[in-house]
Parts: sequence; C-alpha cells; structure tokens
Amino acid sequence: MSEQGDVIKFMPQVISLDYIVRTAPVNAEFGRNMQAGRVTGHKCPQCARVYVPPKGFCPICVVETSKADEVPVTDRGVVTSWTVLTPIQYHGQNEREDYALASILLDGASGTIGQQRLLDVPLPEIRMGMRVEAVWAPEDKRNEDDGRGWGFGSAITGFKPTGEPDAGPEIYEEHQL
Amino acid sequence: MRDVAIVSFAQAPSLAAVDKTETQMLYPVITSAIERSGLGRKDIGFTCSGSADYLAGAPFAFVSNLEATGAWPPISESHVEMDGAFALYEAWVRLQHGDVDVALVFSSGVSSRGNLREILCLQNDPYYLMPLWADHVSLAALQARALLDAGLAKESDLSEVAARARRNGQANPNAQVSGDVTADELLSEPYLVAPLRPSDCPPVSDGAAAVILVAGERARDVCERPAWIRGIDHRVDPHYPGVRDLSTSASAALAAANAGVADAPIEVAELAAAFSHEELILRDALGLGDDVDVNPSGGALVANPMMVSGLIRIGEAFRQINEKGKQRTLGHATSGPCLQQNLVCVLEADS
Amino acid sequence: MSERCAVVGVGQTHHVKVRDDVSLAGLLREASIRALEDAELDWKDIDSVVIGTAPDSFEGVMMPELYLADALGASGKPIMRVHTAGSVGGSTAIVASHLIQSGVRERVLTVAFEKQSEGDTTWGLSGGRSGGVGAGGYFAPHIRAYIARSKAPEYVGWMVAVKDRLNALKNPYAHLRVEDISLEMVRDSPMVWEPVRRLESCPASDGACAMVLTNEKGGDAASKPPAWVHGTAMRSELGQFPGRDPVNPKGGQDCAADVYAQAGITNPREEIDAVECYVPFSWYEPMWMENLGFADLGKGWTLTEDGVTALDGDLPVNASGGVLSSNPIGASGMLRFAEAALQVRGLAGEHQVEDVRTALGHAYGGASQFFAMWILRAAKP
Repeated sequence: MSEQGDVIKFMPQVISLDYIVRTAPVNAEFGRNMQAGRVTGHKCPQCARVYVPPKGFCPICVVETSKADEVPVTDRGVVTSWTVLTPIQYHGQNEREDYALASILLDGASGTIGQQRLLDVPLPEIRMGMRVEAVWAPEDKRNEDDGRGWGFGSAITGFKPTGEPDAGPEIYEEHQL
Repeated sequence: MRDVAIVSFAQAPSLAAVDKTETQMLYPVITSAIERSGLGRKDIGFTCSGSADYLAGAPFAFVSNLEATGAWPPISESHVEMDGAFALYEAWVRLQHGDVDVALVFSSGVSSRGNLREILCLQNDPYYLMPLWADHVSLAALQARALLDAGLAKESDLSEVAARARRNGQANPNAQVSGDVTADELLSEPYLVAPLRPSDCPPVSDGAAAVILVAGERARDVCERPAWIRGIDHRVDPHYPGVRDLSTSASAALAAANAGVADAPIEVAELAAAFSHEELILRDALGLGDDVDVNPSGGALVANPMMVSGLIRIGEAFRQINEKGKQRTLGHATSGPCLQQNLVCVLEADS
Repeated sequence: MSERCAVVGVGQTHHVKVRDDVSLAGLLREASIRALEDAELDWKDIDSVVIGTAPDSFEGVMMPELYLADALGASGKPIMRVHTAGSVGGSTAIVASHLIQSGVRERVLTVAFEKQSEGDTTWGLSGGRSGGVGAGGYFAPHIRAYIARSKAPEYVGWMVAVKDRLNALKNPYAHLRVEDISLEMVRDSPMVWEPVRRLESCPASDGACAMVLTNEKGGDAASKPPAWVHGTAMRSELGQFPGRDPVNPKGGQDCAADVYAQAGITNPREEIDAVECYVPFSWYEPMWMENLGFADLGKGWTLTEDGVTALDGDLPVNASGGVLSSNPIGASGMLRFAEAALQVRGLAGEHQVEDVRTALGHAYGGASQFFAMWILRAAKP
C-alpha cells in the first residue's frame, strides 16, 4: 500500500515452483549404501579412476560404469582445501554462524568431494593435509534420497579430525578443488 | 557460404518421466550420434548445446551435461538456453568460418520434473503478463480461437491433425502417444481449455537428441547420403499476444522465405507444432501445399521434450533423406508463446 | 577466408546496486541506445540481435529473449540468447562476431545484462537451498591454494583491490567508488570467505552492456575508429574430475593459446598493450596473469607488486576498474570485451591507457571451466 502520491517502484512477486527429481539408479544405489554406513564409488574400467559419488560413467574416458564397477571407499581422508563462510542471509538460508567447508580426499577415491562440513575443530586450526573421518548421522536420521548427488546428503553430517599426523603436500597438492 | 550437411542423428526415446539424470540421458545419445557419423570425438571442432535451467529446476543445469561430451582435454564449446535447433544454427554459423569442419550439436530437457503449465508462465513479460499466470496451454487456446474465428479452420480440422499425428506415431518407436484413432473420436472429447481438447495438446516428455554436422566434401566421405543444409533462418515476432494477428505466423513465413522454402518442392516437412492448430498455421505460413507429407513421425503432438522438439524435427527431416531416399525436406523449430519465434531448416540430398 | 569483424559501437549503463527507475527491458535499451549512438546507427540498421545473461533464476524470467524481443527492435529479425555461465558476456560477443565473420549478417547488436535487484542472486546460485556457498565460497579454496603454491605475500590481494578501485574512480560507469581506498582499508575489511575480504570482492550490480558489430565495409564507413577483431576463442573443460587443476585451468591456457595464435601473438607480455580480464576476487589477477601466459607459474603476483598492471604500468590490467568494481554478472564478460574495444579505439576517456594498439578481453565462468577471449587491434587484420 502506498499513500496517495507515492510512486510504487517494486512489486514483490514470490514465485514457488515445485520439482520432483527422480533419483537415478546409480545415485539410488549410492544412497542405499550410505544409508547402510558404506561409502562406495565406481572405478572406471578403462582408467581406473574411482569416482565418489559415482556418476554412472567416467567423464574423461566417456565410458559407462555400472554396479559391476562398484568399489568400497573408506570414510576417512585428508582436507585438501577449505574456506570459512560467513553465511549470506537469503530466502531459504538456515545457516547463521560462520562455518567451514572443506574438500576431502577420501582414502581410495581418485578425486575430492567438495563442500563438506568440518566439525569439532576450531576454525583457526584447520589446515591442508589434516586427517579427518566422517561423522555419521544416526541411522534413523539418514535419508537415502537426500542430496540428489550433491555429496553425501544427510548420511554424513560432516568430518572431524582423527588426530593422526597430517598428510604431506604430495598427497593433497594435486587435489585442491 | 560453405556447404554444411547433417551426417548423423540420434535421439533418446521420449518418456513421460525418465529416471536418469539429464547427463545420463544425454550420454548414450551423444555417443550414438558420434558413432553413426563415422567420425571420432577428436574430429569434433565445435560443440553447441541447448537446454533450459527452469525445466531442470536448477541454475547452471547445463554445466553437468558437459560430462556427457568428453570435455577433456578442453573443447571449443558454447551453449544456448534455447531449443537445440538454435544450437544447430549457431554451429552452422561457426562452421562457415572455415577453420573447423565438424560440429556436435545436442540438447536435452526434463519437462516431467515440474508443472510445465506453471513453469512456462515465466517465459512471459515479468511485469504485465507473468502475474496473470497465463499458461502456455491457455495462450495456445487463444491462438486456436483466433484461427477459428478468422474462419480459417474448424474444430474438426484440429482433430484431423491430432488423429493423423497419433496414427503416424504408431510407426515411431520414440512416440509417447499414438493410436489408430479417427478425428470424430477425438472431436467427442471434452475441452481441456476451449477450444483445445487434450488430444490437441502435446504430452509432457523427457528427452534428448544429438546431431553431427560436417562441412564440405568430408560429409560425403563419411556419410553415404548426407542431408545438406540448403537454407536455414530464424525470426521472432513481438512478444505480446495482443499486438499480433494470432491466426498467422509472420515470423515463420519470414524464416521460410529467407530459408528458400519456396525455391523447390518440399516432399516432407517436420513441424514443431506442439498443438494441432499450430500445424495449420505453420502449413500456411511456410506455404506447404496438400502434397507435402507433414510430420510422418507424428511430430510434437506425439512426443514433446521441450528444448529438444525442434532439433528432433530437423533430425527426422534428415532421416527422410538419409534413410528414406527423399530429396528435399524441411525441419522447423519454435519457441515462446503462440509460435512467437520460428526457425526453418531446408535440407537437400545430393542430386 | 572469413569476413573481417569490427566493433563500431559500445554502450553500457551506470552500474549500481539497484536501478529502480527502469524495467529489465529499459536497462537493456539504455545500453543498446548508447551503443547505437556511438555507432551512429539506428535500430532499423541492425539485422540481428544476440543477448546473453546468467541463469534465468537470477531475475525469475525464463528465456528472456522472448520478452525482450520487442524492446530490442528484434521483431522480424533473428534473436538468440547465449548462456555459458559467468563467461556468458564474452561468449555472447563471440557468437555475435561469428555472425559477421561468416558473412551471414552485417550489423549485429549484442547485449548482455543482469538486473540482480529484481531477484536474489545468492538464492539463485544456491538452487533455492540452504547452505549455498555463493561464488566467493566456491573460489576461496582455489585462492588459498594459489597463495600456498606461489608463496605470494598476503598484501598482493589488497594491492589489486586498491588498484582496481582507484581505476573505477576514473570510470563514470563503475558501480563501487571508494574515494579514500587504501591498503589498510582493504586489509581491515571483514573476512567474507576466508581468505577473501569484503573489499577484495565484487559487488552485485544492475547493469547492461551492448556493442554493435559489423563487417569490413561497416568498419571502414564508421566515422569513429573501430576495434578490429583479430581472434576469438572459447573453451570449456570438465568442472570436476580427479586431479583437475582449477587454479591454473587447462581450458584457460588452451583458450589463450588459440586466440594468441589467431592474432599472431608469440609474446603476450610484450605484444599486448592492455588487458581487461575477469577478476571477481582480487587474487584472480595474479592467477590469470599466469594462466594467460603473462608471467611464469608462481610469479603472476610479481606483476601486481611491481606495478606492471597499474594504470600507468607497462601492462595495465582492468583500467575500467574491472569486475571488482562493477558486477552485473551476465554483463561482466561483455564489459571486459567492450572495455578492450574502447581502449583500442581510444575512447576510454579518463581511464584510457596510452597508445593501445592491441588489447585482450577475457571472461570466465562456472567452476573456472568456461573461457571466452578476444584480441582486438586498432589496425585491420
């Protein structure tokens, strides 16, 4: 509403569109494994790179991968890079406090998985090479459909330091995504 | 102008709802188009694709589609947020430069994820039209009404188009809708949005398609019967349905004229008419007589993966030359409410 | 073998946080009219339109070329909309140049834009979900990796910010104008995505940029000096795969090599006189200096520290103030391309670099995976 004579310059128009995304079989299989507390990847039959989460193909060789190519991957790894975010408040944002997101190179994976929460570590102590392990959500809180291929979804709430000695640059230097 | 030909085409079966990601859907289609072309990935000098974020329900949705192309080492590539037919146009222009001979064109769309009648409202002017939530079916109905009121067609003509499309669809393994139906049977359906009946409207489809273009003699080296792009052009009309005569399509007529449709007889025309009345308007605008076989594939009425329908029409027009021995065919693509934007591609075989 | 392409008109809007006085169409028309006036042409002289913008969800308009056709005088003409993520402004200009070089069209109007005030960009970037990291949050780890690899001193980032913000004061169209900018001010600004500070980051702007491209005949007939296109290139690479280097991406290296080869450039550091490159966070200047071959690996930051990239330096980078000063996302790439054109035409006003014969326009996007570049010269190819 405006008082007589005022010019209305903006008309708020909030549009809500609902989308249902059917989980692809490859992603559903990954989700089920995560539900059961197992991290899995697909190993390319041509170049042997291990993709976590699996995509159903190797984008470098352009070769399809399937359940036959499934390999177990651990839930421990190394922080290769990170940032500390001051969350911007936008419609739908639930974060309020600063938090850290890291790229993690899991033992057994060929590439990093990005934007993983770092837990139980003061922000100034985060460093490249830090050894971490997954913090799994309680079984009844894991939703196998969550995440839609964005990392681990709700099965893993984050990663915390293991206390082991840091990995050297030869481990993380090539993986600074 | 350099002569450019289509040498291969592949499409995913159009499905009501696909349980793959868009990238996973594209992957075998692109691989197939490349294999059928007789060329290798390394031969491709330029790649162009089409897709729409709002169908996928995510920003930058096209980025992950890059994984289906083998973009390592890095490739020369571009993307339009439009039907793949316009990506084909960009690739055709790029090939004119002379430094590359082969282009890959592809597009994909997952319309099943959201409510298309809501989503496409966002194609309208955000200040005046969008807040009306005038969906594309209702706007199409307005155009059908304009056509009927101008005395240019009767409702039974619409049902005739719809019936023929379904009958043709029976022979098309990629058709989502098909059947041995008559116009009278369809005419007895109640309206969906008057004067359009459900059979006058397209199905909601997920799909993908890819095409390989080759310039010059090389096309004949790799393909026994390439389809040469003899003319290609696209034009747009004013956006607001109220300022144009909806019973005609000025932009389609203009594109057809610039593409040289009338230069010689067209044997087969694949028109991206998603609604039955659109086929009548387009036939007239493109100057297609009764002797032209329109939409032997069933057209967009039997499968309408948005962002792909136009590329599929051009692909089917290619198949008519490459597989069915035709000499001169036409593929059409459209975008926007009430046939606002139109692309016409005339294909010819070697004589 | 192909037709020559000339930039004969450049126009842009005054980039600000909120343009509450124009609609989306109005914003584009403003830039377009300025470009047409600069080209001394009229709407009717244009035979096709190519527009570019970032994701539709930033403004909530799907396929905006449909709505904008009328406002851009495109009725009865061809119109296309390019979308290659953040590099879109650059690739849009390149697609427009293809239309000229192929001989298919003679006078193309190309416009790139973003009206960020009419949407919520961070929401848009997050796909509507909580925990979106934004562009800064995504690139911050790469910046950290560069600093670690190169052992660059931390003040390099502040120096780039100060340089670009001082340059902005000489550009009447620039959004962020910080009159008393200093190294200390940048150093003391809040950390937003560690290690990136607020004053080392780009703003969110409403803005549009337009150019008129024409062929050799049109370039010769122009009364103001044209900028001649000597090379264009685009590259895309996979955004994420094991062992990828996003800090010095191969796509960027290959794109630069391609465009330099087309323009006959073998020593970019010596042969290029001005660079407009896409630096949305200050550390991207040293990173791109290496990626583009202006400096050896690990040494890009020395160009900044030595003043080489300053306005009065040997290789001025972002004389316009760059993306750090104005960032209407969809337009930013085209602004780089257009500012490169203004430099070789001698029309950059107060931020004109002396004696520019060859300029590079650069844009990037996505996960540092999409690249668009062009080389312009005052002389014809």
